[in-house]
Formats: sequence, structure tokens, C-alpha cells
Amino acid sequence: MIQSKGKLGIKEFISIIALTIGTKLSDDTPSIIYENAKNAGWIATILIGVMSFIPVIILIKVFSAHKDKNLHEVIIYLFGKILGNLISIIILVLGASALIVDSGVYVDIIGTMYFTKTPPSIIYLILMAVCAYGAKRGIEQIGAVSWLLLPYLKITLLVAVIVSINEGTLGFIFPIWGEGKLEIVKASAKNLSIFSDFLFIGLIAPLVVSFKDFKKGTIISLIFVTLEISLAMVTFVMLFDYTTAEMLSYPFHETIRYIQIGFLTNVETLFFPFWLVATFIRFSFYLYLSAILLGGILKIKEFEYLIPLVTTIVILIGLSPDSPSIVLYTMRQYILLLLSPAFIFLPPLMWLIAKIRGDFKNETVQESS
Amino acid sequence: MLKEMFKLFKKQQKKQSSSVKKLGGEQSDLKEKEFSRHLQENLSILKKLYSVPDNKDIKLRELYLEGFKKQAALLFISTITDVKSVEENILKPLTENTSSTKHVRDVVSVQMVHEISYFKDAVKDINKGNALLVLEGEAWAYVLDCPDFQSRAIEKPDNEILIKGPKEAFNEKAVANISLLRKKIRNENLIVEGIEVSQRSHNDVFVLYIRGLANEKLVTNIKKRLGSLEVNAIQNLSLLEEYIEERNYSIFPSILNTERPDRAASFLEDGYIILLMDNSPDSLVLPATFWSFFHSPEDHYLRIHYGNFTRALRMFALFITLFTSAIYIAITTYHAEMIPPDLLLAIASSREKVPFPAVIEILIMEAAFELIREAGLRVPSPIGPTIGIVGALILGQAAVEANIISPIVIIVVALGGLSSFAVSDLSLNFGVRLIRFLFILSASMIGIYGMTAFFVAGLFYMVSLKSFGVPYLAPLSPSYKSSKDTIFRRLVKNENIRPGFLKPSDSQKKSDGA
Repeated sequence: MIQSKGKLGIKEFISIIALTIGTKLSDDTPSIIYENAKNAGWIATILIGVMSFIPVIILIKVFSAHKDKNLHEVIIYLFGKILGNLISIIILVLGASALIVDSGVYVDIIGTMYFTKTPPSIIYLILMAVCAYGAKRGIEQIGAVSWLLLPYLKITLLVAVIVSINEGTLGFIFPIWGEGKLEIVKASAKNLSIFSDFLFIGLIAPLVVSFKDFKKGTIISLIFVTLEISLAMVTFVMLFDYTTAEMLSYPFHETIRYIQIGFLTNVETLFFPFWLVATFIRFSFYLYLSAILLGGILKIKEFEYLIPLVTTIVILIGLSPDSPSIVLYTMRQYILLLLSPAFIFLPPLMWLIAKIRGDFKNETVQESS
Repeated sequence: MLKEMFKLFKKQQKKQSSSVKKLGGEQSDLKEKEFSRHLQENLSILKKLYSVPDNKDIKLRELYLEGFKKQAALLFISTITDVKSVEENILKPLTENTSSTKHVRDVVSVQMVHEISYFKDAVKDINKGNALLVLEGEAWAYVLDCPDFQSRAIEKPDNEILIKGPKEAFNEKAVANISLLRKKIRNENLIVEGIEVSQRSHNDVFVLYIRGLANEKLVTNIKKRLGSLEVNAIQNLSLLEEYIEERNYSIFPSILNTERPDRAASFLEDGYIILLMDNSPDSLVLPATFWSFFHSPEDHYLRIHYGNFTRALRMFALFITLFTSAIYIAITTYHAEMIPPDLLLAIASSREKVPFPAVIEILIMEAAFELIREAGLRVPSPIGPTIGIVGALILGQAAVEANIISPIVIIVVALGGLSSFAVSDLSLNFGVRLIRFLFILSASMIGIYGMTAFFVAGLFYMVSLKSFGVPYLAPLSPSYKSSKDTIFRRLVKNENIRPGFLKPSDSQKKSDGA
């Protein structure tokens, strides 16, 4: 009644991104980067962050001309109905498969690291049920919860990082450039898509209170997330050295198993709930995004009703692989490989078309008048 | 869709029937009549309305007034009127009056005199403790103001106990309660509106707000909601609460109940709305957020560090209440590796003789604790201490010796139970105690994972809750402009804006840094 409905403040917006993308440091993303960049993985991450700036800035520029449209509507507007829908469908398929593979990976983490005796289907069901509930509540609620919990999640993460740096060896991060500068650049270019989520964030652009907040929030969170993941990568290398870190599927979880705080020798169950909370929020947000995009393509205004459907599909497909640790790991690499070009080329393409159509001129005219 | 249509249809039917239906046995047709010029006619109607010879405390005094040279009658309910005032200020001046030119209002010496011409108004006023004077040859009657309801004096608060700060509490008399509030807010903009909420018992609800601070929309919304109730009787605010809250089945309370006038006044000054009613030794504050249940006025009366220390303790207690039992179950059954070996051995050896799994053990003890608590509350006060001793000492001791419960479970449950008392608000206290059981169940099913899943789902639910349009966890999340009085408070001089989620008309409370 009192509040403008369903709008996100800048704080909530940043915390959603910080949680959804920041959580990547705890899955197999680090191992994928270590594989190419070896112990210079943290530099590669920073480089990825810097390189991601280009598409992100261009994307923001495109949105500056279409402030009340979300990604799908902008695509339709720029590419026309048929081509636009096709592009949206491709993005949806990529996004949905990333969601399925990611959720599979997280279920695998929970199943192999913590609940070895619980059937993965049960873990999967609970995970997706909670996320579907969260997504159904709406973006405002997801934002509120992430803002509420962000400080605690990041503080515990920081504690884990500090304790591991204490136990680690500084020498492991040398040679600084790993296998060579060129290798780092290659590794970064290949894995650029770990920040491809920023493309999907365009879907909630009109839901942020003001465009200025969207712009500021996106850039702040990109910097924050880059530094966060990079710091974590340094920590893992210092603790395990790169050969081990590369072998480990989930370095974060091995880290919290490895470290001890004072008289507590096994602290992973202390960190586990905090990581889990971030996971729940992350997939709630992904589910919400998929539902928005699907709703946009199918022209369904009340897309919230699509969330149960999307969830069911995710669960059914996600449960199918037989040896998730291996299948999902390779699948994930493929998806990252496919998402990279989409993330790099789509925003410039959109910008180019917008430029040709003269959308930016309109904007300046509007502003001056 | 069919279902919804059916629902709609049913609703319509209900509405129609309720608006057409008259209250049976209320003699509404008599009440609609006007007073006539003949005294006896009026009296017979009044007698019928009040069943005069049967109804023992209705006093009808007929008399001849020398001064007016008229026959007259005085009607009042002796149990709720100030009989002394009737004698001295009404009867005495009337009988001693000799001048025939004076009017009634010039003769009697009571505060207020109204003239009314309908019986329904007469009835309403008599029921409020006023006296009714009817004169021969006049087609109207006089209402003379002299109510005197019995109630107790203003006492110390029983439930919201403070060490430092004012010690007055509301009592069952709304007039006294309003006076307590006016004593704290000396401003003509403090508005007290009365709204009748029930048709048979005519219970009044007083809506208090400060004009110019409270959000106008919110005030009209609440008045509309109060005015639309179609009920025969609502005794007090505790019952009214259920009529006006939005989510009846929610486990979280959405309206705050306080018995402290100082607290109510500080809410009023922030732009909240207060409801008062006769027969309720408390007030309702709306809209309410989680923080208003969590706070105690003493947090502000104490110096800042002391106040924040108690807040930290309370938050800690809240989490202990929610989680200790559940964590104990989760750790002993699923995550035994996280306990240091020595402690693990100690727990294992103490549980060795106990035949139950940890969940059953905890549930038995929790149930026992809740029973002791409930019984201790209802028991007549002379027997009270005995129950506590029997419950706490003997039962626990015996249960351990009989190998039904392991000693560590007693520590865990007692800690949780004790901490729950630190959550002072009754509604939130119940909410927390109930949620604790849900955590115990989820922990017993899938350990920490289940607990976290339930916790996150619960948070999603909590942030989507709204009390009269205000998000439940505001201003912390979603964040609003406010004085940041949430988990911790700031210096009072820095709390210079009113909470933004209320959309107050004037948000500045004091000049910056004043």
C-alpha cells in the first residue's frame, strides 16, 4: 500500500549480485581457472574482471537509452520480433542450462562433502523447493533477504580467508605470472563468462529504483566480486599450492575442512550454513531470472506462475546425470565456453544497432529539452 | 476459477443478508421513535426499553418540580452513574429551584447538558452512565453528564517491567489511559477519535494519532477497517487485534500490544497510530515491525552502551532459544565430527544409558519445560513456587537418574527455555517458542542442511510479511531512511528522523546534531 511495489534499492541490488556471483568462488570455478592459469589464477580473475568492464559498460550504455525496458524487451526492440525472440531463446537455453548444471554442482558439493549418506534427489528437492519459494516471493524479497544476510556471510568468509592465509605459505603464489603472461590472458579470455551473469542482470534493470542506482550498483558489484574471488584464489593457492588446488573440485570446501580455529578442529559445519544461505539466495535469483525471460518470450505477464514449472524442469534434468562430479564439471566448461562469446559480443552488437537506430540521440534530446 | 466464482457468490450473499438482518430482541422499532409531549407516554416506552421493574439497577425517579410547575422523571443506571452527583447536582437544584423562567440547563450543575429528541440517542447515553431528565409537555429530553464506571487505580506495569523509567501502566479505563497519554504529549494535534465497533454492546475504540505526523492514508485505512466490522460485541483490544490484523494464520504478530503509556507516547511521536479501548489495560500500536517487538523502552532509558548491551543479549537469547535444541540434535546425529573429541566422548558416555534418539530426548524435555511453564502460569499464586521446585529440580533430577534423559539435554533445553524469557514481548515470545519446534523437526530430519533451508525459507516469508503496508523487517531490509534503531540504537540526539516506512508527513524529528 505504502511502498512502490517490487522495486529494488541499490543496497539490495548490490547484495544480490555480490551473493549470486560471489558464491562462485566456492564451487568449481576456481579449479577451472587454475587449470589454465595455474598459480596466477588470481591475476587471471582480476583480468577477467577488467575485461568484463567493456561489455558491462556497453550494456549499461544501451540500457541508458531504454530505461524502462528489461533485457528481453531491449533485444526485441533492437533486433525485431523474430530475431530478437530467437536471441532471447538462445540466452534462455544457455541460462537455464547454466542454472541446471550449477544447481547440480551445488547438490554434488552438499552430497559429497557433507551429507554423504543422503540421496542426492532429496538434497536437490529441498534446495529447489526453498529456492522456488524464494523466487515466488519476488525480487524485492530476494533483495531484502540478501541485504539482511550479506554482512554475516561476508564476515564468515573473511574469517575463513584470514585463518587460511595464516596457515598458508606465501611462497606458493610465486612465480607471480604463473606459466607466463600470455597464458594468463588466454585463461582469462577463455573463462570470461564467469561474469556473464551480468548480462542476465539486465533482466531486472527496470526493477531497480533508478537507472543511476542500476549503473552504480552494477559497477560497484563488479569490482567487489572481482576482488572477492581473486582474494579467495590467492588463499587457495597459499593453502594448497596450485597443483593440489587444480586437482580439487571444490577448493573452498576443502579449505574450510583443512583449517582449524583454536580448539575447534573441524569447523566446516560452522561455515557450511552460511555458504548454504548464499546458495539458496543464488538459485532463487536464477529461478526468478529464468522465469522473467521465459515469461517475456511467451508473453506471460504474471511470470511468477512459471516458477514452479521452471523448478520442476530444473530438478528433472538436474537429477539425470549418473556421475555428477565428472559430467557436470565438463558440462560446465562447455557452457562457460559458449557463454563467453554471448557475453562479449551481444552488448556491443546491441549498442551498435541502437547507435544506428539513433536511440542515444533521442536520449540527449530528451535530456536537454 | 469455479471455486473463486463460488467464493465470490457466497461473499455477496453474506453481505446482503447481513445488511438486511436486524438485531433480534433489540426493540429497534421502539428506539426509532421520537419523544412525545406526554410524560407518561415517554415513560412507558423507557420502561419497556429498560424492563424497569425487573432490571434492578435502573432507577426511575418521578417528581414534581415546583419551579417549572411540571411533572418530571429522572432515569439512570445506578451502577454506572455517580449517584452522589445525581443527588447533589441534579435533584437538589431542581427541587430547590423556584424560578419558572430559568431553563433546565441553568438550574442543574453538571458538566454537560444535551437536549435529544430520539429514544435511540437517549438509550445510548443512559448506557454510557448519564442520567436522562424528561419533563411533561416537552418533546425532548435532557442528558445530564454524570458517568462513574468502576475500575482500578493506575498501577505499576506487570508485564513490561523496567528498572529505570516511568512506572505507570494503562488500566481498564480508556479515559484514564488517554489522560496518561495527554500528560506526555501536550499538543492539540493529538487527535482522539472514537469509533463504535460493535452493534449490540456498543464498544468504542479510540484511535489516537498526531495530526501532521501520522500518515493520512494509514489513518483513513484503519478507521475504515474498524468501521466495517459487523460484530455484536468486541470486549477488548486483545480480541479486536484478531479482527483487524491482516494475516491471521501467520506465526509472527503484526500488531504490537503495550501496557506502557510512555512507550505508546513515543510511538505516537514517531507517527504511529495507537488504539485504546475500555476494558483493556493496554494499547495497540500499528503498524508494527519485527523491531518494535524486539525492543524494550529501557534500551533507550539506559545509557547507550548499557542499552545496546541489553539489545545484544536479547538478540543472542533469541538465537539461543531458536537454535540450541536444534543444533544439539543436528550435531549429535549428523555432524558428530565437529565436536572436539573430549566433549564428544563426554556426551557419548552420558547418552550411553539413554534408550531414545536425541530428538525424542529433546522433545520430551521441551514438552516438560513448556508444561511446567504453562502450569506455573495458571496455578494460584500460593502454590506457584511449589510447582517450580517440583518441576525444575525433582523432575529433571529424577529423569536423569532414571536414564530417560541425559544431563546435557537438560542443560540445552534449560538454556533455551531460560533465554526465551529475554524476549519480553508475549506475542513474539510465543512465535519464537513455536518456531523452535519447527527447527527441531527440520534438524532431526536433515541436520544443518534442513535447518538452513528452513531458516532461509522463514526469512523469505518474514521479509514478505507486511503490517499495514509496512515490511516486517523495515528499516533494516528493505532499507529505508530512518534513525537506524534496529538491532542496536544510536545516540538519542542522533535519532533525528522518523521511520521512513511510515511515510510520515514530517520526517525531521530534531535539527541535526541537536
